[in-house]
Amino acid sequence: MTRATATRVLAERLTSEVVVSNLGQATLDLQRLGDRGLNCYTFGAMGQCSSIGLGIALARPDVRVICLDGDGSLLMNLGSLCTIATTAPKNYALVIWDNEVHQTTGGQPTATAFRSSLVGIAKGAGIEKVLEPKDEDELRRACDRILTEDGPFVVSVKVEKGRAEGTLDRDVIGYKLRFMKALSALPQPAAAP
Amino acid sequence: MADSSWSKHMADALRRNGIRLFATVPDYIVSHVLEHLWADRECTVVTACREEEGLGLLSGAYLAGKRGALLMQNSGLGNCVNTLGSLNVASQLPVVLVISHRGDLAEFNPAQVPVGQATERILDALDIRHIMPRSIHDLEAQADGLIKLGYARSLPVAFLLPAELTGGKLG
Repeated sequence: MTRATATRVLAERLTSEVVVSNLGQATLDLQRLGDRGLNCYTFGAMGQCSSIGLGIALARPDVRVICLDGDGSLLMNLGSLCTIATTAPKNYALVIWDNEVHQTTGGQPTATAFRSSLVGIAKGAGIEKVLEPKDEDELRRACDRILTEDGPFVVSVKVEKGRAEGTLDRDVIGYKLRFMKALSALPQPAAAP
Repeated sequence: MADSSWSKHMADALRRNGIRLFATVPDYIVSHVLEHLWADRECTVVTACREEEGLGLLSGAYLAGKRGALLMQNSGLGNCVNTLGSLNVASQLPVVLVISHRGDLAEFNPAQVPVGQATERILDALDIRHIMPRSIHDLEAQADGLIKLGYARSLPVAFLLPAELTGGKLG
């Protein structure tokens, strides 16, 4: 499965969820295949995608948040998996496009190309719902679960190597403001008395 | 002797400026502030594994409309440098940093000194406005203004907490 195919499977199921995408390939695929106001693109701070999504999920428990991370980036911030397990927001899912390489910098292998398993690490961090879809059908079922069931989820998807098509639009501030406006426009339930 | 009520003044300054979400990797000094926040049912404190993870989390919360503060030692500021630059400054995501200033006057641990001496220059290099209140009077005189500036400018601001204010750590 290519990352583009996997991105389409998720994108066609989205309604009012927030999607936070990792700098580089995940953001480029999402811009090209499913651009929308509720996408929170990241462009820097490698490793922070899952943490940014966690902050959104904690601040807006009424909104489902899906992070699209890469193996190289998540490996820089493995402690995030422990913080996700500890805070355990029900509205949170971390999807990893694991192509086993640092794609953007030329395809150098990451630790998942050798002995390391992000599925095993996520389970060891204490996350109970860890999914490992192997093909498109399984990915569709995994997406349906993260869009309906309580999380937190970690979904690790092995995808083919290869750069995303197109060119990244780096309107960093423009996309940030568009996202904040789209998220604040989602009606919030009244606070409990 | 430092007045031990400094920590309540610090916690109150954060809370009266609308901050209810906190991330931390604790140290001996900021733990005194955390005690007030942990005890407050309106406040949420997330202990991160590494300080920059807290920055990511608080940045996400800001995007969702919530103000946040990161409480840490200045060694944690060292861990945060790239994320402060390429996330908070580049994307104009404000956050309040509350940093205990180890490695300066009265420091006993040689390993704390290099980053301690570099701390203000690290903040200056990232164009992060900071204050170093040496008394509760200083803290109260500047705290609201600093936080207000951070959100007006949409950039991080930092409280550097020196041993003169906090009593430091005596070893």
